[in-house]
Amino acid sequence: MKNAPLLKIEDLRTYFYSKSKQAFIRSVDGVSLEIARGETLGVVGESGSGKSITALSVMGLVGGGPGVISGKIGFKTEKTRKNLLQDLDDHVKLAWDNGKIMGVDKDVVGWEKNAGRVMSGVRGKEIAMIFQNPKASLNPFTTVGSQITEAIQLHTDIKDPLQARERAIHWLSRVKIDTPRLRIDNYPYGLSGGMCQRAMIAMALACEPSLLIADEPTTGLDATIQSKITDLLAELKSELGVTTMLISHDISVISRLSDSVAVMYGGTVVEYGPARDILASTLESKHPYTSALLESIPTERHIKAKEHLRAIEGDVLDTVNIPAGCRFYARCNRVTDTIREKCERHEPDLREISPGHRARCWLYFD
Amino acid sequence: MPKTILEVTDLKKHFKHRKGLFSSFSEQERTIPAVDGVSFYLKENETVGLVGESGCGKTTIGRTILRLENPTSGRILFDGNDITAMPADQLRPLRGQMQMIFQDLDAALNPKMRIRDILKEAITVHHQASDEEVDRRIVELLEQVNLKKSKLSNFPHELSGGEKRRVGVARVLSVGARFIVADEPTSALDVSIQAQVVNLLRDLQQRLGLSYLFISHDLRVVELISHKVAVMYLGKIVEMGLSERIAHAPRHPYTHILWSSLVEKQSKEASRCTTRPHSGVWGVFDFERPQGGCRFAPRCPVYESKGKPVVCVDSASEPRLRDIGNGHQVACHFPL
Ligand SMILES: Nc1ncnc2c1ncn2[C@@H]1O[C@H](COP(=O)(O)OP(=O)(O)OP(=O)(O)O)[C@@H](O)[C@H]1O
Ligand SMILES: Nc1ncnc2c1ncn2[C@@H]1O[C@H](COP(=O)(O)OP(=O)(O)OP(=O)(O)O)[C@@H](O)[C@H]1O
Ligand code: SF4
Ligand code: SF4
Ligand SMILES: [Mg+2]
Ligand SMILES: [Mg+2]
Repeated sequence: MKNAPLLKIEDLRTYFYSKSKQAFIRSVDGVSLEIARGETLGVVGESGSGKSITALSVMGLVGGGPGVISGKIGFKTEKTRKNLLQDLDDHVKLAWDNGKIMGVDKDVVGWEKNAGRVMSGVRGKEIAMIFQNPKASLNPFTTVGSQITEAIQLHTDIKDPLQARERAIHWLSRVKIDTPRLRIDNYPYGLSGGMCQRAMIAMALACEPSLLIADEPTTGLDATIQSKITDLLAELKSELGVTTMLISHDISVISRLSDSVAVMYGGTVVEYGPARDILASTLESKHPYTSALLESIPTERHIKAKEHLRAIEGDVLDTVNIPAGCRFYARCNRVTDTIREKCERHEPDLREISPGHRARCWLYFD
Repeated sequence: MPKTILEVTDLKKHFKHRKGLFSSFSEQERTIPAVDGVSFYLKENETVGLVGESGCGKTTIGRTILRLENPTSGRILFDGNDITAMPADQLRPLRGQMQMIFQDLDAALNPKMRIRDILKEAITVHHQASDEEVDRRIVELLEQVNLKKSKLSNFPHELSGGEKRRVGVARVLSVGARFIVADEPTSALDVSIQAQVVNLLRDLQQRLGLSYLFISHDLRVVELISHKVAVMYLGKIVEMGLSERIAHAPRHPYTHILWSSLVEKQSKEASRCTTRPHSGVWGVFDFERPQGGCRFAPRCPVYESKGKPVVCVDSASEPRLRDIGNGHQVACHFPL
């Protein structure tokens, strides 16, 4: 029996508008995902495929318009149970044509006020996020220590400043920052890239959230610290049962921590299922994008021979001019004559191709 | 014989540690020896990889060499010119020849400028170019880094992490530098685009004879792209040599640990093991109580297994880089 989902995203759409193109940038275009309590969902995919925007939508942090325009985000713990996009419909009117959204009329101010109300007490406390760009997400004018201490006082039961400071030091040392008692008084500019990243991680973890969203938590870190941070996340999972949405380009980190994996391409989920099915190097039935992505990982042979690395042919998808058929069609090397027409004209939906394993590809269904 | 383009001798950069306003910490000010006596050189058409723990001073070396920070002491020769203390006006003409791909995604991207203008500025800052030429160059650069033209009208905050990274790479390539400090140029990219960027950097090197100081935590990419690799630990180079040797026949205990954590990571990936890996020795260098001698001693398995020899922690005998043949240098009293 699977645990009940802690987070359940249904048909999320987050758009931006390009004035110069007079068109929508469909960054997240109908994403549905769920994470069971205590589990880790790994999210991989092309750069620009909408991973961070999905995460930021959950946090209610997508600024600018139109932003989130439809969907449901169910969040259920012992204490709370709500739709984080509650009343979104009251603020957004969509104009559909032929199954495509042609126009959006959104009362941005009203929605933001509503979202602020819904998210208060959730953001930072119940759901914490490790951002992709640590330097930009720390306040440059305050020491990392006071930022973490403040977060602890705000979001946990520890209110005493000295105790909170001790707690902050504890977390800085857990993320392997050297001399935490000294570093706690550093301003972000006095820290290296990887130290800022770890300070961010410490801040997110110190609030003891039920859901942790980690966007590229290990990129700026060397192999030894990377494995310590991965261990730390594994520990939190097994000891405290922290539920995690883990976004990463590092397949080895994803495969070590994830129970299930979602692969994103061009604002949609193209494959979704148990981690071992999706990341296995042998399994036949995989979405062609996933196979191509896994094949781009440099092998021992490439490195020894100093060969050219393998990259997926063709250009990244343009989320402004999304083609009519399968979004991967222009780059797909597995199109057969029997399905070519469908690939080109009709977008496949995400369907189960074996128990628990879903893919968005005409190779596996009609 | 390729020409030496960069020569760094005994470079030091020490920072003052400034405390927060309400710090409970003692009053005395401390220095952080971020770079502490580093020497190496770089030839034309050559890539030197720089690896080491987060916070060991890699970015600081890059910034100091390009004179974005002033060195505390030491000497930097760029293309025969001593630029260690060169005043800004004399340095300006050299700036176009040395550039940095910044680790921080936002560092080089003016938030108030559209991507098109950022690239245009980079193309024209050191060279004259007509509007058509600029446009042609921009299209070419976008293709090289696989970025969509529709992103040209975006502001930096409207880009994903990887898109910013690619603009950063394109910006540096557009200046036409001969020497590039590439600080984590492949982080934030998916493996496929990573491969494109690595291939691009290598192609440009072959075509134009560029030199790179390539800083990265991705040891596989470092091994692939670098001719030589320098391994740093807390402000010092502890081992340097041909990349194959560093990767496959390391002599310094730290290098060994670093590369084996990569192997370990890969094997864990294969077995999908979720248990805790070996905890090993894990102490960190303490800036509050810097011990004498080798800075790696608190974590060194050799030091441990040899029964804590005094020579390793004696401040009179800090291990220095010495040649062990084949252009391989190591700073350790008991190399592997
Ligand atoms: N404010 C914005 N205005 C316009 N477009 C935006 C904005 N924010 C993001 N985008 C676009 O939305 C798409 C998805 O961005 P997102 O940050 O989610 O990508 P990602 O999957 O996290 O990629 P990466 O791995 O590179 O971080 C990108 O193409 C990006 O350019
Ligand atoms: N402006 C500054 N003021 C004070 N200390 C600094 C400053 N810049 C860097 N440092 C310190 O210098 C040391 C080296 O930092 P550096 O950024 O060079 O590390 P790095 O090797 O690039 O690490 P990473 O891999 O995490 O990016 C760190 O201890 C850092 O705290
Ligand atoms: S639907 Fe067709 S084009 Fe799309 S991934 Fe499958 S085979 Fe390739
Ligand atoms: S000098 Fe001693 S402590 Fe330092 S690395 Fe060598 S064996 Fe280890
Ligand atoms: Mg992202
Ligand atoms: Mg750095």
